[in-house]
Amino acid sequence: MSNFSVAFRDAGTATILAVCGELDAHTAPELESAIKKCRDEGKSNLIVNGSELDYISSAGLGVFMAFIEEIRTLGGDIKICALKPKIFDVFDLLGFPKIYHIVETEEEALSLFKQGIQPIQGN
Amino acid sequence: MDGVGDAALVSTKILYQAALAVCFLCLWITIAHATRNSRPTPAQIFWHIILTILPVCVLVVLILQIPGDFLEANIPAAPIVHVKGALLSMVLAGLSFILVQRFGRLVRFRRTRRSERNWYLLILSVGLTSVVIAPFHHHFDVSSSPVDAPLAILLGLTTIASILFIFLNTIRLAWIIRLPVKQKMGALGLGIAVVCLTAATLLLLFRPDLALSSITELSPPIEYLIFYSLPLTAIIVLCITFGFVYALTSVLSLIFHLPTIGDYQRSVDEMAAMQALTVLVREVTDPEKLYHWVVSTPVDSGRGKAAWLTIQELESGSLKSQIVAAQNIDASLADDVCDVDAIHGEAARRRALVSIQNASSDRRTQKGKSSGIMSLLAVPLVTRTEVLGTLFVSRDVAHAFENEDIESIGVFASQATLVLENARLLEAKFERERLASELAIARDVQRRLLPQAMPKFSTLSLAASSTPAQEVGGDYYDLFELDEEKIAFIIADVSGKGTSAAFYMAEMQGIFQAVAQIAPDPHNFLCHVNKALGRSLEKNVFVTAIYGILDCNSGAISIARAGHSPAAFVDVTGRTTLLRSGGLGIGLDRSELFAQTLEVKQHVFNPGDLVALYTDGVTESRNPEGEEFGYDRLLQSIQSARYERAQGVHDAVRQTVDEFIGPEKKYVDDLTLLIIKWHGSEPVMHDAEDNPLL
Repeated sequence: MSNFSVAFRDAGTATILAVCGELDAHTAPELESAIKKCRDEGKSNLIVNGSELDYISSAGLGVFMAFIEEIRTLGGDIKICALKPKIFDVFDLLGFPKIYHIVETEEEALSLFKQGIQPIQGN
Repeated sequence: MDGVGDAALVSTKILYQAALAVCFLCLWITIAHATRNSRPTPAQIFWHIILTILPVCVLVVLILQIPGDFLEANIPAAPIVHVKGALLSMVLAGLSFILVQRFGRLVRFRRTRRSERNWYLLILSVGLTSVVIAPFHHHFDVSSSPVDAPLAILLGLTTIASILFIFLNTIRLAWIIRLPVKQKMGALGLGIAVVCLTAATLLLLFRPDLALSSITELSPPIEYLIFYSLPLTAIIVLCITFGFVYALTSVLSLIFHLPTIGDYQRSVDEMAAMQALTVLVREVTDPEKLYHWVVSTPVDSGRGKAAWLTIQELESGSLKSQIVAAQNIDASLADDVCDVDAIHGEAARRRALVSIQNASSDRRTQKGKSSGIMSLLAVPLVTRTEVLGTLFVSRDVAHAFENEDIESIGVFASQATLVLENARLLEAKFERERLASELAIARDVQRRLLPQAMPKFSTLSLAASSTPAQEVGGDYYDLFELDEEKIAFIIADVSGKGTSAAFYMAEMQGIFQAVAQIAPDPHNFLCHVNKALGRSLEKNVFVTAIYGILDCNSGAISIARAGHSPAAFVDVTGRTTLLRSGGLGIGLDRSELFAQTLEVKQHVFNPGDLVALYTDGVTESRNPEGEEFGYDRLLQSIQSARYERAQGVHDAVRQTVDEFIGPEKKYVDDLTLLIIKWHGSEPVMHDAEDNPLL
């Protein structure tokens, strides 16, 4: 049933979490524990690469909300990149682009971290 | 004697014996009838027999004392001899019948076909003996004729058969094994008394001079009996002999059983305990009581000195366990002196019994000596799929557990496993049923949070429905009459589904009813709601909503979207617009950003225009192939039904969705649809171009 996975990749200034499959109420805890693990290891610059993400439910969106405040307090951020148009639409409907950096490519997200561009205001 | 007289005499004798036979058969039946329904214990049977024999012996002695005897009388005998013979026969026949019938109950304890057959053959052979013996004239009869040799042989055979069946029936002693210790001892004492008394009766019958010196000069009772009826005498002698032999074998058997009484009692206790446990499983679901039973049984049955039970901790998946009950030892003490977790772990891993015969040489139980743990058995309680826990049984002597103890405790443990598992399953079932009824209540409550009736306006038609994916859901819609002209409407979707979403949905309802009155303006309203809900929502939960106000007279609508699926406007010409104005989901942001990004849109309906509000359960419904319903299908279905009143449009959309997802109708998400259609105060046709939407 669980056709969801998270892969970690270190990209210097940030850790990339490549998510794959369907992120819903059943699989959300996997992403949650992945982010928790990064946080516990002191990695607070996170890029979620959604190029392989096929579906996201409201519970999946909740995972981003659950950690963003804490990660930003630690001086880091969660940036989202490479979303498929349909998935981006879900983020967009909810107003996520107003709160999160959602960009086209991983490189863009990385350069945002390198340039030290502050997260969008909010929270 | 001539032949005719001889024949007459023989027929008279036959008639006499037949009459006697009928009389004593009646006596037999009377006695049988009197005791037919009683179910006495073996001890009671012995006691009854003693109470019968004692007065019979006294009566026999008293009857013998009556003056008049063969010795002093001429032949034919004096009338008093007939009377004495009849009295003695009656009393002794009564005694022998009671003896046989009473012991018959013990013989036929736990009946089998063979035991039944042997019993009736005994009665038959005794009866036959008495019939065959009839032609042998008693020695007082001078007219006796020589007896035929074949008849003598037949008599010999029936007598041997009688003795054989007496023997076969006296080894039927099954009742002894089942007897509890106390009753065994009682039966032994009473049995010895019965042996003595039956022996005394036989002695009294044949040699009263040896029993009582006062009657040495009298004829023994047996002679009176023979004089009265030889067949009856045979029956009486055989019956009393049977009684004596049966009592004797019972006593001997009881004596032989004495050394094993303890062992036997233990297995009886164990059996009783197991039986009690199976009764318990039907009636008791309280785990504490069951645990107590499980630990007390091995101790009560003497298999162990102390016992305790550990139950595997279910959540952790590790082999950690916890002592839930202990007998004859303090639970914390047992935990201290033994490495309970390690032993439980081994037993659970191997799914086999762990036997530590010398506790002081095993590092896990080294400290047990001071607490009287010298040998220890640990039996895992293993079900088909999991290990429930481990039963520990200890003794205060090393090498105390014999194979038999290990087997017995093993059998008990598997019984206990069944009982515990059963209780656990029952408990889970009750829990499920309880939850189901709680959820049913919750569903009813939630249904009442949604509008029970639509507001009535002549210019409007309204239709709505909400179907939770589970018993309760996080979708919400409502309508509120602000004044005679305006209504406020809302649709909202709490993220996630199920119970937690339902709580927020209920909160949403309260807020809507309160805030719509004090801050009806869409911007104000949603900002208030964001503040109010933001405080209670969990970090990872958000609510999306669309709120608006409609002027029913003018058709002017003012609407704002907080992250919700865009409202679908369909005008009377068929043009469709998804209103995708700016606005964050409620709970996403707790600062000013929410207010800054929230846009309010104004629009004026033409008569026949409508707006459809829905939750993502509609657009994200999937067909069996996994395809989403999507916006296009939604808009199309509204468009093609746009000339209907709101209810017709609503039904058309729901029907299209239901047909799309297939006959199984499995909603993956809560699904809500609200249609608001403005018909206008008077039918006016406008050109669509004049009224560009938004």
